[in-house]
Amino acid sequence: MHGPEPELVLDRLIHEPGRLAILTVLASVRNADFLFLLRATGLTKGNLSSHLAKLEDAGLVTIEKRFIRKKPNTNVALTATGRERIDRHWQQLDQLRRRAEAVQPEAVSR
Amino acid sequence: MKRRMIEAAGPSYAYLRGVLAIPAGCLFLLAALGNWQVGPLRHELVFVACVVVIGLAYGLVIRYYQDHYGRMSPSPRQQLRGAAAVALGIVVVLGGSLLLRSRAGWSLDLPVNAIAVTFAVVMLASYAIWGVLHAHHLVVWGSLFLAGALPFWTGADPSNIGLLMCGAAVIVCGVFDHIAFVRTFGPRELPAAGDGNARA
Repeated sequence: MHGPEPELVLDRLIHEPGRLAILTVLASVRNADFLFLLRATGLTKGNLSSHLAKLEDAGLVTIEKRFIRKKPNTNVALTATGRERIDRHWQQLDQLRRRAEAVQPEAVSR
Repeated sequence: MKRRMIEAAGPSYAYLRGVLAIPAGCLFLLAALGNWQVGPLRHELVFVACVVVIGLAYGLVIRYYQDHYGRMSPSPRQQLRGAAAVALGIVVVLGGSLLLRSRAGWSLDLPVNAIAVTFAVVMLASYAIWGVLHAHHLVVWGSLFLAGALPFWTGADPSNIGLLMCGAAVIVCGVFDHIAFVRTFGPRELPAAGDGNARA
């Protein structure tokens, strides 16, 4: 019995759907505020808040609190590590999908 | 999870804020009416005042989107795409207009509305470059292209009518863009405005 291939072991921190959505959105922009992330991911405020805290603790995002027109605004950006890890994660998922597609025809023919 | 759909959030926010197209379209209409010197627009000050009002309206619309849908800065790649679309637009509109119908000796002098044709091509190409091309873009800009390319634009220079047509198309496209935007990001009531940006 072989163990899982190390290059295909998924990063559990990133693989959670909410965090994967946040990081994927952030990978496609330079930075975004809390409201934009809320809109783009469809998460609730509480969920988004707790996911962002976990991602910040892991060093994957930076969070900057500021005021815009006297209103509090939370700006979020991906760190270099965060970008590297989300890119790698999507590559792993693509690789897994390709493998699954390659195995399927054999299974059907049996 | 559809990666492409989530990644499209940035470009969708940048290019599908359709209400912004209403003042932009009005600028086209104003340019055409100003060229014709219609009513009070024959006075330069009135024209300038109208441009200022349109500029203020544009600022208010940007604020509306920021207050209800948040803020984001485009990625360097997205900025590059935006610059490419602008550069393409300048080349195609100027070059195309001169080539299709102008006083230049090398002009094809075709009976088409060069402004409408070239602008339609530029807008379709821009939405494709930005990565947010939707079916309504094909309908709106395709219709403008066809209307401009029909060979009945003989006689006087049809540039002003072309500007009117472009303005109308920009506004109609903007309405559909906003519908697509709301479909992507949700109605403006969600989440409750005011404290949506203060978390985390």
